[in-house]
Amino acid sequence: MFIWVLFLISALLILGTSVAALVTKNIMHSCIYLLGTLLGISGLYITLNADFVAVTQIMVYVGGIVILMLFAVMLTGGKEFVSKGQQLLGLAPLMGSKSTYVFGLFGALVFGGIFAKLISYIVKLPIDSTEQKIQSTVESIGKLLITDHVLAFELSSVLLLGALVGSAIIARPRRES
Amino acid sequence: MNSTVVSFFSQFEFFNDAVKSLSETLGFNTYAAVSLLVFLVAATVLTIVCATIGGLGTYAERKISADIQARVGPNRVGPYGLLQPLADALKLLTKEDIFPANADKFMFYLAPFLCVLGVFTTLAVLPVSSGLTLTHLNVGVFYIIAVSSLVGVGVFLGGYASNSKWSMLGGMRGASQIISYEVPITISIIAIVVLSGGMSFEKIVSSQGGLPHQWFIFHNPFTFIGFFIFFVSGLAETNRAPFDLPEAESELVSGYHTEYTGMRFALFALAEYVEIFVLCAVASTLFLGGYQLPLPETIVSKMPAAAVQLWQTVIFFIKALALYYVVIWVRWTLPRIRVDRLMSICWKVLTPFAIFNLIGVSIWMVVFKGESLLKIIFH
Repeated sequence: MFIWVLFLISALLILGTSVAALVTKNIMHSCIYLLGTLLGISGLYITLNADFVAVTQIMVYVGGIVILMLFAVMLTGGKEFVSKGQQLLGLAPLMGSKSTYVFGLFGALVFGGIFAKLISYIVKLPIDSTEQKIQSTVESIGKLLITDHVLAFELSSVLLLGALVGSAIIARPRRES
Repeated sequence: MNSTVVSFFSQFEFFNDAVKSLSETLGFNTYAAVSLLVFLVAATVLTIVCATIGGLGTYAERKISADIQARVGPNRVGPYGLLQPLADALKLLTKEDIFPANADKFMFYLAPFLCVLGVFTTLAVLPVSSGLTLTHLNVGVFYIIAVSSLVGVGVFLGGYASNSKWSMLGGMRGASQIISYEVPITISIIAIVVLSGGMSFEKIVSSQGGLPHQWFIFHNPFTFIGFFIFFVSGLAETNRAPFDLPEAESELVSGYHTEYTGMRFALFALAEYVEIFVLCAVASTLFLGGYQLPLPETIVSKMPAAAVQLWQTVIFFIKALALYYVVIWVRWTLPRIRVDRLMSICWKVLTPFAIFNLIGVSIWMVVFKGESLLKIIFH
């Protein structure tokens, strides 16, 4: 079924990019691979029927945290964190080289496997099967946030406001009297 | 359950009959296979249409700017120079792919694709018409805000990886600008979500009407201000003039894509123009009634379904392209804004006004039970 295919794709994305993020010697590349891992995790949330959490994952991590990490690494000197040793996955595939064929073969195998899984699922469907319904979780999350968990919700908003005010005070240009 | 293009087709007899007969001949339930096929075809068509709009956007930009500056503009290739985007694409394809000596290869190659990815994934929920949209996701508006933040990562990486001071400055400006202007955009969208009671585009459009007095922009004074906050922040989000500081050509050569040549540069340009189209489409859907036909409900219900879908698509594109014209018009009218003013406009003007609007709309919902201002006055 489609959910399983989505699960396979997200799981492979998470595995591949998280291993790459650990192995790579360049910390900026590590951040980029982390981006792939976070996107894969949002795919996992979709397979669990949590559409709101999945989109929030992209919103918070891809749009906020990863850019913050990139900025932090860059401002503290991203080039200095590159170690000079042999890189395992740092070899970007070029046209016609050996690594292109290895990467291409691996990619083709993975996608061929996923496609075969999809086709085999489609072909084996019994004639009287029906579609699985997916329910939205937005309304129930909203209701829970302002009823059962209202204290935690308000407290976390105070915490975020405190962080915002604190960072504004730190970043404020000091006036010499 | 989200309504999709497949669930729209499955209302009709011919689609169900076709699926049934196909299932009987092939010996398994072909609903999933046919859904996959329909989605593939619809996604391909929508992508090609939007990429064409992006390509023709460059033509429109040059033609309209020529008109504003009393020039002729491109007029050599094809009738009225209409084939100019094709000629440009051919030229860019044959260009040498230059790679700066000290650039970071992996990130340099990845950046334009991240930009294109962030823009083209938003097309999945683009509400073209009530039936032919790929999917009316329950978290539609939120999804668009979330995935379009990938563009910020692409812009920043493009600037960082080029290893050039101009690109670096452009990339940093781009990232900070995109992150900052997401705040007023999101808050002004939340005001509309409060009004319509749902985040899916289907819900937002169906709670408006086809005629201008039923649109959300004229619903109450707060949404009227909210539209302009959304549109101005959208201009900044898509790096358009007067907020095109990331690529300010008079100071940064070309900003974050200074070092890019050929098709890699073209991908950045394509992402920018398609993003403007998506912005205009979202603005027209949230505030200007979206794909609703400007006719009374009794007439629309008597029209055949295919005609309704066709006219809805036409209305959608008319509204979005009219806003597209305004975006280009603004670019060739206003001078570029200074970088410190850019940030102070965002945080000292647009964000407080957006929060004020959100509170105003919430109070309006409580006090007037969500009735529009015109209805209250003339009732």
